[in-house]
Amino acid sequence: MPRTSRSLGWVMLALVLGGGGGTVAWAQGGTGVECQLCHGDRDFMRAASGQDTTPRLYVTDSLVRDTRHGRLACGSCHPQQAVGYPHGAGAKAVPCQTCHAQAGLDWAGSIHARNVADRGDAPTCVSCHGSHTVYGADDRRSPTYALNVASLCGGCHADPRIVGTYFMAPEEAQAREAVGQYYQTVHGAALTRAGLVVSATCNDCHGAHRVLPGEEARSSVNRQNIAATCGVCHAGVLEVYQGSAHGAALRERRMGAGGAPAPVCTDCHTSHGIVRASDPRWFAGVVEECGACHQRLYQTYFDTYHGKATKLGFGLTAKCSDCHTAHDVRPASDPQSSVYPLNLVATCARCHPDANANFVQYYAHGDVRDRARYPVLFWVWALMTTLLASVFLFFGLHTVLWVGRLAVNRVRSRPPAEPVHREGA
Amino acid sequence: MTRPLSVADQGDGPYVWRFTTVDRTLHALVMISFFGLVLTGIPLHFSYAPWARGLVRALGGFQAAGLIHRLCAIITFGYFVVHIASVLHSWIRRPDKLGIVWGPDSMVPQPKDVRDVIQMFQWFLGRGPRPRFDRFSYMEKFDYLAVFWGVAIIGGSGLLLWFPEFFARFLPGWAFNVATIVHGDEALLALGFIFTIHFFNVHLRPEKFPIDLVIFTGRSTTAYLKEEHPLQYERLLREGRLEQMTAPAPSRTFYLWSLVLGFASLALGITIIVLVLWATFR
Repeated sequence: MPRTSRSLGWVMLALVLGGGGGTVAWAQGGTGVECQLCHGDRDFMRAASGQDTTPRLYVTDSLVRDTRHGRLACGSCHPQQAVGYPHGAGAKAVPCQTCHAQAGLDWAGSIHARNVADRGDAPTCVSCHGSHTVYGADDRRSPTYALNVASLCGGCHADPRIVGTYFMAPEEAQAREAVGQYYQTVHGAALTRAGLVVSATCNDCHGAHRVLPGEEARSSVNRQNIAATCGVCHAGVLEVYQGSAHGAALRERRMGAGGAPAPVCTDCHTSHGIVRASDPRWFAGVVEECGACHQRLYQTYFDTYHGKATKLGFGLTAKCSDCHTAHDVRPASDPQSSVYPLNLVATCARCHPDANANFVQYYAHGDVRDRARYPVLFWVWALMTTLLASVFLFFGLHTVLWVGRLAVNRVRSRPPAEPVHREGA
Repeated sequence: MTRPLSVADQGDGPYVWRFTTVDRTLHALVMISFFGLVLTGIPLHFSYAPWARGLVRALGGFQAAGLIHRLCAIITFGYFVVHIASVLHSWIRRPDKLGIVWGPDSMVPQPKDVRDVIQMFQWFLGRGPRPRFDRFSYMEKFDYLAVFWGVAIIGGSGLLLWFPEFFARFLPGWAFNVATIVHGDEALLALGFIFTIHFFNVHLRPEKFPIDLVIFTGRSTTAYLKEEHPLQYERLLREGRLEQMTAPAPSRTFYLWSLVLGFASLALGITIIVLVLWATFR
């Protein structure tokens, strides 16, 4: 379509020209003050500030030119300084939320804002975004670029001084190690080793501006919100989880056995220790996690070959999720459940390809102590125990009596000892 | 010459034969396969024990342990078949066809064995003389028949667990639950019996301490025969067959190797008992 391409050409030309003129625009700001005369002169600023190093207020034209704010004039952010020289003492830049209203509101509701108010040492806009070098989060040079976020947050959250001040409570132990551990996780490794910018970093889970502790209901890492937070990327898993018994229990805030709430993503996968699901050591931990609520099933699982092999650290035998699925856990009465009677052949066949209707009559959680539900197992177990007990009892007695008889015979056949001379006798 | 450690080699000679080469070879195979089965089986049965993972690792990992277990199972089925064949063979060759199922040379329990058990307990309690045994005491018959029973039960349930998909063609799935219980408990009975009662009866009771190598060398001194199997000795003497049973003394090398194998097996068996007790009563 020739008309469209021609108008596109004009727009591009305007952008190129506009970009080229940006240098002038930011420096002059339409106020008549030439900021660059002083602030662009390093020696002058050094002398004026009395600092040996490059002073903070040394702001060159080229420094700001290609930032997100490259087309703003100094006066846009520093209106009081822009009216003339000397600048009003203590005059501040305009608040960022003047333009960035939503980000400002979000930050104002964050734990960082509260700590700024209470203690004055928590991050504000410039702590993360910089002051004169504000690049977009999609810019490699920006501290808020995906590959840089962990080291940005780690600047405080891996600093023993700061961590020691804010996360001293015993239940905050994980927060003290979080950044270091993150680098070991699949998410951290994907960023640092595979260089994947789509992998989750701090702000993907905790939010960039409205960072809140998990205990708070509005936090993105609160129990009720975790699934949705992880689901931003793992959308397919979220969908399945929400349809599962666990997802329903979480929505309805129902408690399981022992008063524990329904499991959310982080209960099995952890938050800062996330590894691949193929890691057998981690899988052993998941079995423990399921067992925290499903105690009877947990115990009986370890009576089976599946459980015993898992206990020995073998990764291939069936674990909870191999039969019950990882995210679509449903009761056996639910026709959609992997352990619904009609679905068992398909479920078992994932490991045992020739499984048939007979095969699936195996009790994956058979309990010899449960006479009412598993009478056959109970009686076989009782019979075997009786057999073992009687054999060992009979031959145990046989052995003990034998030793006793030989001991008695030895004492009797011993030649008479010399007469004992008791003192005083 | 100093007194030999093995009771079968102590006292007056000459040596007389007790076990054939086939019997001794089969017993050695029983020992080797049984140790293999037990060492690879107990970590699974007692998977919660603190030593379970370490033992599996020492055996070369979970899959290697499974492979050893199945190889030893094949050896077990092998010696079982060879033994049945050898019994049939000697049955065909012997003149008195009944002698193998009845009489002093038979492994079948007989009224005398019941009387011996009762008399043994009377002796234990100081109410009578010690029973005198013929070629096989009731304890030896029990050991022998227990292997038959054990191979059938443990081997059968083991096959079920080895090929569940095949057996599920005609057995319900809960048969594998039953097989798991039976396999584990029966194996526990076997190892518990062999490493305590069998060890005591054969090696560790004061009359035999510290070891009896007759199952390895296949022969014993006449003094040993008189002591352990007096009725057999008298019978052989009466029938004039003692002469043809005379054996040369085992070579020094053979004796020493038997001693090493015997003591190593005793130590290993007792170690296994310690592990099992540790897992059971910790």
